[in-house]
Order: sequence, then C-alpha cells, then structure tokens
Amino acid sequence: MNLNENKYYTKWFKNSWSYVTGAVLLSLLQIATLAVTGEPWRVSSTMAYWGAWILETIGIDVSQWFYFDIEGGQEILKGGFLKDPRSIRNLGVIIGALFSSLMASQFRIRKIKSKNQFILAAIGGLLMGYGSRISLGCNIGGLFSSISSLSLSGWIFGIAVFIGTIIGSKIIVRFLI
Amino acid sequence: MYSNKTKGKKNQAPFGFIILIFAIGFGVFLNSLSDVLPFYWITGLAFGFVLQRSKFCFAAAIRDPYLIGSTILSKSLLISIALTTIGFTAIKYGSYINGETIPGQRLVINISFAIIIGGILFGIGMVLAGGCASGVLMRTGEGFLTQLVALVFFIIGSLWGAHDFQWWNENFISKGFKVFLPDIFGWFGALSVQLFFIGLLYILLDRIELNRTEDLDD
Repeated sequence: MNLNENKYYTKWFKNSWSYVTGAVLLSLLQIATLAVTGEPWRVSSTMAYWGAWILETIGIDVSQWFYFDIEGGQEILKGGFLKDPRSIRNLGVIIGALFSSLMASQFRIRKIKSKNQFILAAIGGLLMGYGSRISLGCNIGGLFSSISSLSLSGWIFGIAVFIGTIIGSKIIVRFLI
Repeated sequence: MYSNKTKGKKNQAPFGFIILIFAIGFGVFLNSLSDVLPFYWITGLAFGFVLQRSKFCFAAAIRDPYLIGSTILSKSLLISIALTTIGFTAIKYGSYINGETIPGQRLVINISFAIIIGGILFGIGMVLAGGCASGVLMRTGEGFLTQLVALVFFIIGSLWGAHDFQWWNENFISKGFKVFLPDIFGWFGALSVQLFFIGLLYILLDRIELNRTEDLDD
C-alpha cells in the first residue's frame, strides 16, 4: 500500500489546508466546546497549575497564593493533572499536532540554532506567561473566546496585544541586526 | 535544514498510527476516570490537528499585518471570530430566553489597566518567542525544541504572574468593569454591531494588502 498515491490521504493528511478551512473548523470546535462544557476554549489559564504541580514535586507549596483561590483553583490543585480537563485538552493539542505532523511525514526534531534564539524563546515565554496571568487570558481565552463571547474586554486585550507585537517587532529587528 | 532532507521524506505515517492508537487508549482510560475528560481530550486533539493542518497561528495573525504586511491569516482569524460569535450568541441567547444561567460568562473579563499591560507583555513575548500559547503547544508537537523552551518559560512566567496576581487584582482588576455587549445594544444589536465591526476590519486589512502589492508593482 502506497499512501502517497492515495488521493484522499494526500488531500486530508499530507497537503496543508487553507487558512479559511482551519478558521471554519476552529469555530465549529469552539461552538461545540461552549455547548458541551459551558465554557469556551482556553489555553493559558492551565499553565500556572502545571508550574504549581512541578513545584509541588520538589516540595514547594504555592496553594496559599491568592491566584489559586479563584475559579475553583484549590480543587484543581488537589485533583492533579489527570483530573483537570483543561490540562488534558492542552496535552491533546500537543498530541494532535504530533499526530498530524507524523501523518504528513513532517515531524522533525528541530534543534535550537543559536544562543540568541534560546534567549528570545525564554524571554518571550516568560513575558507571555506573566502577561496572560495578569490579564486572565491569552490569544485564545482573552482574545478569540472573549471577543466571540461579545465581551468588550476581548477587543481591548486584542488592541493591547497588537501594540505589544509592534514593540516586539522593533526589539527583534534591533536584536537581529 | 538540508541535511535532514532524506529524513523528512521518510514515511512517518506508521508512527502516526501508533500515536492514534495511544490517543484512543488514553481516551478509554480517561473515560474510566470521568465523563467530561474524554470530551476535552478529543477536542484538544482536534484543535491540535486543525492548527497543524492549516498552519493556523494566532501570533502570526496579529503580528504579520505590521511586521510583514501580510493580512491573509488575520482575515481568516476574523472569519473564525465572526462564525464563533454567531454560534456563541445562539447558545447564550438560548439560555437567556429559557431563563437559564448564560454559559461562558467567565470570559467576560474585567476591563482594567491589567489587561492592557498584560496584553502588551503578551504581544511582545509572542513576537520574541515566535508563537503564542496554542502555537507553542502545536510546535512542540511538531518537534520544535525552541518552542519547548518557550513552553517551559511560559509555565515559569505563569507562576510569576500567579504570584503577583493578588497585587494586580487589588490595584486594578477588582476596580475594573465588565462590558457584555448585549447589555448595551440588546442581543440582536450586539451581534449586528460586532459583525459589522469585523466586516469593517476585514475591508481595512484587505486594503492594506492591496496597497502593499500595488507599491510592489511600482
């Protein structure tokens, strides 16, 4: 059996889909998510819990932090990774992308090319983590899901992120030259 | 990049099937733990699959109009927001007229200085790291070690933010206010205003790209 000669394999798994196809399917999944779980798609709110669980394994307890008193945080902390639906969903995004890239034979371990790239990724990750916590959302929860929920906060967050990308672009241009 | 060319051409689909079997097995295991977990697992897989297949990147959608003048992904994001708005509004309106609690109102977030500063920091971060939260997860799955570093530091940054959250909450977030558009414009009005505004933005982005290609032609 040669998969590459199969028209449907090529169409569904090998060739990239159009952005609009992606957009429509993401919307469908969002709507299904709100209908079933009563909450739109969110990504970054989970990350602080991942950090808390990692710290717990080395004996540091952060459960008294105020942050973990909101949105049923204590329950989530006690329940652990396997009982937290949003953590499972985030793991699903990684595994779903892994499956997709393997099916297309596009998976490859891409090494970090330079020290600069490492530093940029680290600082970028830190800023995103901090920013998403104090604004209670990322591009998914704070922007995509909030705007779609007819909340003005989503638009304002979006404008702020856009301003951030202008600043970030200037930094990166200066850094690279 | 080129040294890996032969490796890249190797058929990896068999490994894909192994991952699929693992995913199904894990789903069955989750089903034994609770009723809700399999749904989150399946939708997570589907979100990851769709993001990778269509190379949909939220960071690029917001960054590219300014950085490289490309707006095709931004326009696709607008289409997605418009469609999701219609679906969400239908679900919310349905609950409202049936006298039930409107779902998903937690994401009507307090508007305060904190979301502006948080948004700016987030925007800077995603340009530096080359991807936002969903993009970092997706590219980790594709094998990008850089994005794995970004994910680790995203977690550290989240902890830092969680640590400082009380301060931000006391000084800004708790003093903020929520604006749910149907409270101002009514349900039909809010939906219309939002879709109209999305349409305007779409035209604006389209013009930016048209102007740019015309400049290139000169």
